[in-house]
Amino acid sequence: MDIDLKVRNQGDHAILEVGGEIDVYTAPKLREKLIELVNEGSTHLVVDLEKVDFLDSTGLGVLVGGLKRVRNNDGSLSLVCTQDKILKIFRITGLTKVFPIFASVDEAVAGSGGGQ
Amino acid sequence: MDTSTVRLALPPEPRLLGTIRLVVGIVARKAGIDEEGIEDLKIAVSETCAVAMADLVRAGVTTPIELDLIEDGKRFGIEVRDRAPSEGRITDGFDVDDLDDRQFGLALVGALVDDLESGPLEGGGHRTRFWVRAGAETLD
Repeated sequence: MDIDLKVRNQGDHAILEVGGEIDVYTAPKLREKLIELVNEGSTHLVVDLEKVDFLDSTGLGVLVGGLKRVRNNDGSLSLVCTQDKILKIFRITGLTKVFPIFASVDEAVAGSGGGQ
Repeated sequence: MDTSTVRLALPPEPRLLGTIRLVVGIVARKAGIDEEGIEDLKIAVSETCAVAMADLVRAGVTTPIELDLIEDGKRFGIEVRDRAPSEGRITDGFDVDDLDDRQFGLALVGALVDDLESGPLEGGGHRTRFWVRAGAETLD
């Protein structure tokens, strides 16, 4: 059980593709990667959760932390997610009102800050 | 009504949370819980165990966490027991961010499962129990 993190660029967006399970054990790796991207100058982030099998409150906390960090730099953080089991967690916690959530990376890049 | 219980005991190590979720998924599926209920159980047990592990680690206790996976007719329950001292659970002295995570996690559990009960164990420690119903509508 681990987390898989892959980064690529699309226009001026950094796309972070996350796979596996995000829990107390693995969330620190996601936190580190988000901090690294921001420190390297990425301000418009898209976190692709399509390959995430599990997400808990620690993972939500890390994503909220990432959002605060990019907003401090006038940036954006969007999510890509179509899985009901993951979306349910965002809905229950009210975080659908906090994060822009898109059905694909292309939609997220087109719909969030920055250019393509 | 027949009740059957699978009992697990695991050291308080966060790397084992995935194993706990895997076992819960297998046992709940065999008990006839639908996929949405299984996902709710996985989150609830993972959050509960993570809190118990944090309390045990903070107290320097390595006593295993015990889980009962209870098949009880048309519902399926999980009880999590730990032996973390109760003084480790008071809010004074917690890191504020840690406390927020803890409350957030437990609130999530309450939103996902039925009949959430939580209280002290005789002789020290804590137990949390919750249920889902087979085929029941769950919060969405």
